[in-house]
Amino acid sequence: MRPVQPMRSRSLLALSTTALALPGIAGADAPPLQNTLSYKISNYKEDDLSRSEVLFGDLDRYDIDVHQFKLITPVGRNYALQVDANYESLSGASPWFTTQGFDGKPVVNLSGASGIRDRRSEISVGGSYYLENGRIGGNIGYSEEDDYRASYVGINGERHFNNDLTTLAIGLSYSDDAIFPTDAPLFNRVVSADKSSSSVFVSVSQIIDSVSTMQSALSITEQSGFLNDPYKLRDIRPGDKTQIAWSNSYRHFFLNADAALHLNYRYYHDDFGVSSHTFDMAWHQNLGDIFRLVPTLRYYSQSAADFFTNQDNFLAPLTSFQSSDYRLSAFGAVSGGLGLIADRGDWTATLTAERYLANEQYSAYEVKQPSTALVQYNRVSLGIEYSF
Amino acid sequence: MLARMRCLLLLVVCALAVNACTPVRAWERGQLARTEMAWDADGLESALNDHIFFSKEASSGGNSAAGGGCGCN
Amino acid sequence: MNLSLKRFAFTAMGSTCEMQIYAESRIHAKTVIRDMASEVHRLEKKYSRFRHDSFVTDINLAAGKPMGIRLDSETKSLFDHALSCYEQSAGLFDITAGVLNRIWDFRQARVPSQELIDQARSHVGLHKLKWRQGRLLMPAGMEIDFGGIVKEYAADTAARLGRKLGVRHGLVNLGGDFAVIGPQPGPAPWTVGIINPQAPDSLMATIELLDGGLASSGDYERCFIHEGKRYSHILNPKTGWPCAGLRAVSIAANLCTVAGSMATIAMLQDEAAGIEGLRESGLPHVYMTNAELIGGAGIQV
Repeated sequence: MRPVQPMRSRSLLALSTTALALPGIAGADAPPLQNTLSYKISNYKEDDLSRSEVLFGDLDRYDIDVHQFKLITPVGRNYALQVDANYESLSGASPWFTTQGFDGKPVVNLSGASGIRDRRSEISVGGSYYLENGRIGGNIGYSEEDDYRASYVGINGERHFNNDLTTLAIGLSYSDDAIFPTDAPLFNRVVSADKSSSSVFVSVSQIIDSVSTMQSALSITEQSGFLNDPYKLRDIRPGDKTQIAWSNSYRHFFLNADAALHLNYRYYHDDFGVSSHTFDMAWHQNLGDIFRLVPTLRYYSQSAADFFTNQDNFLAPLTSFQSSDYRLSAFGAVSGGLGLIADRGDWTATLTAERYLANEQYSAYEVKQPSTALVQYNRVSLGIEYSF
Repeated sequence: MLARMRCLLLLVVCALAVNACTPVRAWERGQLARTEMAWDADGLESALNDHIFFSKEASSGGNSAAGGGCGCN
Repeated sequence: MNLSLKRFAFTAMGSTCEMQIYAESRIHAKTVIRDMASEVHRLEKKYSRFRHDSFVTDINLAAGKPMGIRLDSETKSLFDHALSCYEQSAGLFDITAGVLNRIWDFRQARVPSQELIDQARSHVGLHKLKWRQGRLLMPAGMEIDFGGIVKEYAADTAARLGRKLGVRHGLVNLGGDFAVIGPQPGPAPWTVGIINPQAPDSLMATIELLDGGLASSGDYERCFIHEGKRYSHILNPKTGWPCAGLRAVSIAANLCTVAGSMATIAMLQDEAAGIEGLRESGLPHVYMTNAELIGGAGIQV
């Protein structure tokens, strides 16, 4: 049946536009209806080391302020555009090398009396195209620090099956980075070096019942190039690294409690020899119509890299891999946080605080050489989101 | 540790099996649309956490392809 | 592939409903139809003014509350569509107009006092509501009723669900509001008959539907006669009085929801404006005037 005349009535067009936006008609996958602008400001501060742990140098570690911006905007009927911008400024000191302390135990020496000051800016732009049963998207980004530059690009797609109960997603990304350490000639550091990274991920999400969902995702990343830490006095790592991460998530809504439980578990392994388990959970408790309280808990445990040593050996040949970077040591970390969210409809405010403690005693893996430079930190964030 | 992993694997398998028994009707999905049930309710928060943990721990990845790198020392 | 027609009738939204689909097996058809019918029941449960546990009842109870009530995205979209109907009808199609029904007694054919009408009208006006922020703020004494929108929306939603479940040929009928899941095999259109309000045993017209939807609005009850003038039972929110417009309208559009809104608007306007609006839409339609004249375009009479 063909209409008598083409649809030209303005009334008809107006009614059709609002009707097509109804969820039962538009379907599960539609671009967002509104624009969303988000901003978050955070402060991250590591605990100072104690004098007994540090041979010489400052005791303060990192103090970082972070600003994050995000804008999501629908474009036409089937597209959405997203712009992310971050800026962070960092001050403090980082472990430079480890030596034997006066009591024979390894101690950390932090870099420079004046410490490090660094700024990092990042911008990325992404787009999504919504189809009847899925979505495809891409993004491109660039980040810059005083001593580091990265460009990256990614594509991803997802498809719904089984009456939208199952979603399969895949993505690919590639990053090209360049490092040019500060004060390179002064400290005999490498002047500039490159590194590249390729990554693929695949995930399956499944609606289990009317209040539960789960997701399982696998990612494989291959890095090659200069992977050493250029600021450490002695840090020699292989020229390539393959890593695999498998994460699983579960969400359950408790109708009687008016709260949601989030459970996540991730297993990680790479060919530097590091394996790790990460468990985290969050309880999203609604308080009335506007507020939500979210306590969180996280447990992390990693094994040491094959070439980790908690005491730098400057006599070893330059061909043997070695690093005293605490991030490659065996340790565990426990962190807990609390978030408060106020949702007024067109704007939402979020306040979060988190305390993180890394300690070799929390490790589930065997700790042959504990690092003395493990971090403890506090993080506080205030975020605001506006829809218009 | 191994026992814990076995338990978790069993949970994952059970969850998939449960799906075969109780398919969710289109009309029952109201609760799933709630913000607190989203995979990523606060994108900036998870991006920040990913960034922090990437800098302070040896593990990264799992739920998406790697994004931008950083010097992160 | 051997397809055969399966029909299933049920009651929902105060009307007799029917799903017709072409499916390979009876079991697959039953599953699909059951899911579609359940989706219709979900919307009924959520938006029925008559249920104490419906969301609309919660909304109406929240009238006058300073913080209002949070709306989910589906309800918010329905309000947006209701606003569109309000604007395109110059305020005649108003989901807050339900309060007027209480002061009129059509059975006794009594006319309420002007004072009573004015008082009721002070609680009418969709423009008095605010919901842009995802929370609805409605002044005390006001009420909303999605009755003029939700049945057509349910038909479109059920049809879309049918398509997602793999049905290629089918028709949803919710008490005279139709949404096509897919054409008859061929492809061939579905033929829908429009009942003559004056003679309910006969048809006024037939319309062929290949896709989209068809909705009807009509005053099939006895009219209300006051001072020699004939009125329908539909109330005009601007005057507080019953309308004196078309007797019945049926129109086909890309969506049953759209067709329903167009039909309702045509019924609320006076006859000349209603007929002109229908003609201007360019869509197939049929109407009956107060004088029982039948007109239309793009249909078989």
